[in-house]
Amino acid sequence: MKHIADLPVRVIAGCGLADLQNKTLPPYAPEAVAFLTAWSKRLMARPDIRAYPDAASFAYWCRPANLARLQRELGRDHLRMGRGVALHIAPANVPVNFAYSFAFGLLAGNVNIVRVPESLPVQADVLCTVANDLLTQPEHAHIAAITTLLSYPRDDIVTQRLSAVADVRLLWGGDQTIHHLRRMPASPRCVDIAFADRYSLCLLSGPAVLAAESKALKALIIGFYNDVFLLDQNACSSPHLVLWQGTTQEIEAAQARFWNAMQAFLQTKAQSPGIHAVDKYTHLCRTAILVKGAKAMPKKDNRVFRVALDELPENIADLRGRFGFFFETIDNDLAQLRRIVTTRYQTLTCFGVDAHVLAETVVSHGFAGIDRVVPVGKAMDIGVIWDGYDLIRTMSRIVATQ
Amino acid sequence: MSNLENYVAAFTSTFLVDESVLAKLKYQDIAAWDSVGHMSLMAKLEETFGIEMDIDDIIEFSSFEVGRAILAKYNVNMA
Repeated sequence: MKHIADLPVRVIAGCGLADLQNKTLPPYAPEAVAFLTAWSKRLMARPDIRAYPDAASFAYWCRPANLARLQRELGRDHLRMGRGVALHIAPANVPVNFAYSFAFGLLAGNVNIVRVPESLPVQADVLCTVANDLLTQPEHAHIAAITTLLSYPRDDIVTQRLSAVADVRLLWGGDQTIHHLRRMPASPRCVDIAFADRYSLCLLSGPAVLAAESKALKALIIGFYNDVFLLDQNACSSPHLVLWQGTTQEIEAAQARFWNAMQAFLQTKAQSPGIHAVDKYTHLCRTAILVKGAKAMPKKDNRVFRVALDELPENIADLRGRFGFFFETIDNDLAQLRRIVTTRYQTLTCFGVDAHVLAETVVSHGFAGIDRVVPVGKAMDIGVIWDGYDLIRTMSRIVATQ
Repeated sequence: MSNLENYVAAFTSTFLVDESVLAKLKYQDIAAWDSVGHMSLMAKLEETFGIEMDIDDIIEFSSFEVGRAILAKYNVNMA
């Protein structure tokens, strides 16, 4: 591509910027699906994939059955094609996020330039290596010609030059990063999709936790663990706040049952570094100073820190911790939630409460935030509907005949 | 290969176990059948039999035996 041919970047997979071709496809084009399913199959077949659950989840998401289902869900009510060049600025906090972003852009029919973090965590490196290998094969030549995964040290000139050729910009990052990127000029019809900093929480029904038989409780614990500890609460969809519903006695008993089971489960996992415990303890002290009425809940070891609050401060989202730090409160009528939710709020996971009913409440009460209500365990399941955006539809354009 | 042979092969190749352990094998009985192993197995079965499994069936698929009954719903019959 002429205007970006000379940029000083390191190409990790796909073709160089000089060779990139502006050849868009329709959504779910056979070539795109073939590439993604081949990527999926290669990844799943690797003996080491079990060490990288997030990479395995991505590979699983790209399997033929799932892509076929997504294609059916898009339907064919309009004739669509990719918007053109999609520039992806991937986040640093979720190692495999760039792969999903790329997949969404490709499934929508776009040419994709994906900027990945300079130093790739091992599972991201595995994803790129396998992708690059496939893209050098003749059967994936069309996809190779419209794909560049690259990295470069922070350089606004390079980013601006890439921005200038983009028809879609997928901007993942903290609020500062988004502001910074947004200010870079883009073509008049360029569509920006910003995935800014979000905050997530969990709602548990006391009676349901108490009534759960041991298999269901185990599933709940594993689900919560996956939502939280796989990325140490660094992902936007990980819960930092736990809301309980029920009578005081039910909740007390349910909390004991839940957190004791969580503790037991965590003990089967590898010891986390001491620095995490220090981080949590420091945060606990900071919270005690900043938040009136904060009460540290007793803990057995340093894996889970809990702070109980009768009333949530409006800025609770600014007070989140990491590595297993939770605020807890009771919210039977969702009055607290209604009071504190802002546009920053993304995922609400739940157990023992109907997700659809909760989602309807978000709409009927005009909540300023919450884009997803899913069962505990599904917080990290990214999909083509994300952050309230319908990505394939947004990243493709319609060719209308009326 | 028969459906049963293919079904057995999906397990033995995904989990690297001998056929002899399969009859009583359940999810999480062995290290290889963890959540990632489960995803690998489901993907393998979908590919082997050319089917798309329903999310509820994927969640319910808790053992070699239970899996046989589930696959019968997708017209994968094992004598």
